[in-house]
Amino acid sequence: MKQRTLWSAALVVGLALTAGCGSAAGPGSQSGGSGDKLVVWDWKSGDAKAAGYVEKAKADFAKKHPGVEVEFVAQPFDQYYTLLGTAIQAGKGPDVILFNGGGQIRDRADALAPLDEYVAEDKQRLAGWDAFTKAGKTYAEPVTLQGHPIYYNKALYEKAGLNPDAPAKTWDDFVENCGVITEKTGAKCFALGNKEGIGIQFFLSALGSATLTPQEYDDWIAGKRNWASPDVKRIFELWKQANDAGLNTDGANSTAMFNDAFAAFQSGKAANVIGLMSDIGHWKDFAEFLDADKVGVMDAPVVNPAATPSLPYDGGIGYGVAKWTKDPKLAADLVRSLTSTDALKAFYVDGGAIASDTTIDVSEGGPAVKTIVSEVKTGKPALHVALSSKTIDLMGRLSQQLLSGSITVDEVVQQLAASDKTG
Amino acid sequence: MLIIVVLRLWPLVLGVNFSFTGDGDRNGTWVGLDNYVTLFGDPLFRTALRNVGLLVLLLPVAVAIPGLLATFVYLRVPGHRVYRGVYFFPAVLSPVIVGAIFNLLLAFDGPLNTLLGGVGIGPVDWLGDPDVAIFAVVGVHVWATFGMALVVFLAGFSTLDPSLLDAAKVDGASLPQTVWHVIIPSLSRTIQFVFVTTMIGMLTSMFGLLFVMTSGGPEGSTYLPEYYVWIQQGQMNQPALASAASTALFLIMLVVGLVQIGILRRAGKEE
Repeated sequence: MKQRTLWSAALVVGLALTAGCGSAAGPGSQSGGSGDKLVVWDWKSGDAKAAGYVEKAKADFAKKHPGVEVEFVAQPFDQYYTLLGTAIQAGKGPDVILFNGGGQIRDRADALAPLDEYVAEDKQRLAGWDAFTKAGKTYAEPVTLQGHPIYYNKALYEKAGLNPDAPAKTWDDFVENCGVITEKTGAKCFALGNKEGIGIQFFLSALGSATLTPQEYDDWIAGKRNWASPDVKRIFELWKQANDAGLNTDGANSTAMFNDAFAAFQSGKAANVIGLMSDIGHWKDFAEFLDADKVGVMDAPVVNPAATPSLPYDGGIGYGVAKWTKDPKLAADLVRSLTSTDALKAFYVDGGAIASDTTIDVSEGGPAVKTIVSEVKTGKPALHVALSSKTIDLMGRLSQQLLSGSITVDEVVQQLAASDKTG
Repeated sequence: MLIIVVLRLWPLVLGVNFSFTGDGDRNGTWVGLDNYVTLFGDPLFRTALRNVGLLVLLLPVAVAIPGLLATFVYLRVPGHRVYRGVYFFPAVLSPVIVGAIFNLLLAFDGPLNTLLGGVGIGPVDWLGDPDVAIFAVVGVHVWATFGMALVVFLAGFSTLDPSLLDAAKVDGASLPQTVWHVIIPSLSRTIQFVFVTTMIGMLTSMFGLLFVMTSGGPEGSTYLPEYYVWIQQGQMNQPALASAASTALFLIMLVVGLVQIGILRRAGKEE
């Protein structure tokens, strides 16, 4: 009896332990890399909206390398980086890997092959390279651009008697307009979801260029971040003030950005939302509920007169090549096919993503997408993407504390500065 | 035996060993106890441990609820057949579905707050207030799993000698007196068994609910060690630190398990 209970106790804890270690090697963990087969891992190819894109890319690659088979393995996004971590630990797995730009790829750059010698020709045609670059080396080719435009509901602006084609230029005017809208229509100013701490990321990046001076902005992106600067503090103060003044939809800390906050914007419960450019929560999603002509995109309202508002965006997702692949040139060719103009055009049309290829014609897409694409040229990398995932995680929790009033802005920037230094 | 050694114990040793190596630039190198120092210096992990303590404190409540309800069913309150089925129903739902249902019910503009508003109580941000959220999640977990414990209790009741209850009734014992003096002593082994299984359930199977309902938030207040492990490994790309957290969780489970085995054995001797 004693023996048996001991064993069963060991079994239970063993189970708990292996579950914690990410024992899920995953259904698609074939080690690719044989000469005539390439395995691609992503979380997109299973999506019907991406079918046309994958087909076009495959066709383009088949033209160049007719004998090579390409297998797409779609992983669930929830588990994607967990599964990938297992593959990286094992040193084998897919040849071509889809990544989010920024921290997700930089944290794992050790496992990737630099692509600079293969992709030089694409450098001009595509935008968003910075998010896939670490220490001067490029590790992936951008597929989509991801950024944070401020969307507004033109119908609500009209209803409140405001000119929907002339949104506020300064923060004070913006807040004043919001007051009018709330009074006339009952809609809140911002649809905000900060359950996962995503709200603050969007807020920081959307209002960053309107608050920091151009010099401060560029320094931030270059890694010289001065958290003690009054302008950086100002962003977090705005975050708190906006909530205290009742500009946000209720219960932000328990509302998921995806998709409850976006749903609040789509259903007219809030006049503005800081959204995305690609994938979801963007112009195309919003246009399905509010008429495409009623979805506007505004420049960030100026907080600091010394600032120049610009569209914050980076490379959104991009394909990289694993360093364990047999023939990096072959894999890089597949990456190039995955970013060919034809393939990206299909992604834009079907999936509603802003593709990294800025030569694609978007004139059919409505005013919001036109504004976004026109601002890509002057846009700058988003502030939050430059931070490590550890600092972003901390910022999420601190931002929730700011909303609930259990921490001060000074403490927040202090903790973030400390995390930014070590992370 | 061989299966246990190969599939359980060997990975366990590997995992513990791995927890003494570094992450990132120090991948693969021996770093001694560095990960454990980081771990216990991390306020998030300390919150996770504190929440484990909270779960242990809430355990009696989680056992008392199915116990009481089983008593009512056993004593044939009106409609007891219906209740027996209804109570068990949530136990067959997956945590993800339960979480999604309660996300809707407990939303800030959800039905529960509307109901409270109707009787004049201000809205509570069930999943957004760091002092409330952990209780909301534990409450939902208890709701979702008490059916199983209820069945165990009912099985225990079937071994209860009905003449004892009749004797109590003849002596004019009230319901609380019957429960306290007759039912609880007769069911002590069942109660202990439910304690053990409920504890294991709370420590190991709350992940799904946490993931769906709070993502460890707000402000990190609903972290549990297993959620911490998942975040460090999958999101932060720090597998060695995650192994250290797993090892710590393993030790906690070991202690809890041994204590419970001790209690069970002592109970066995009494009979």
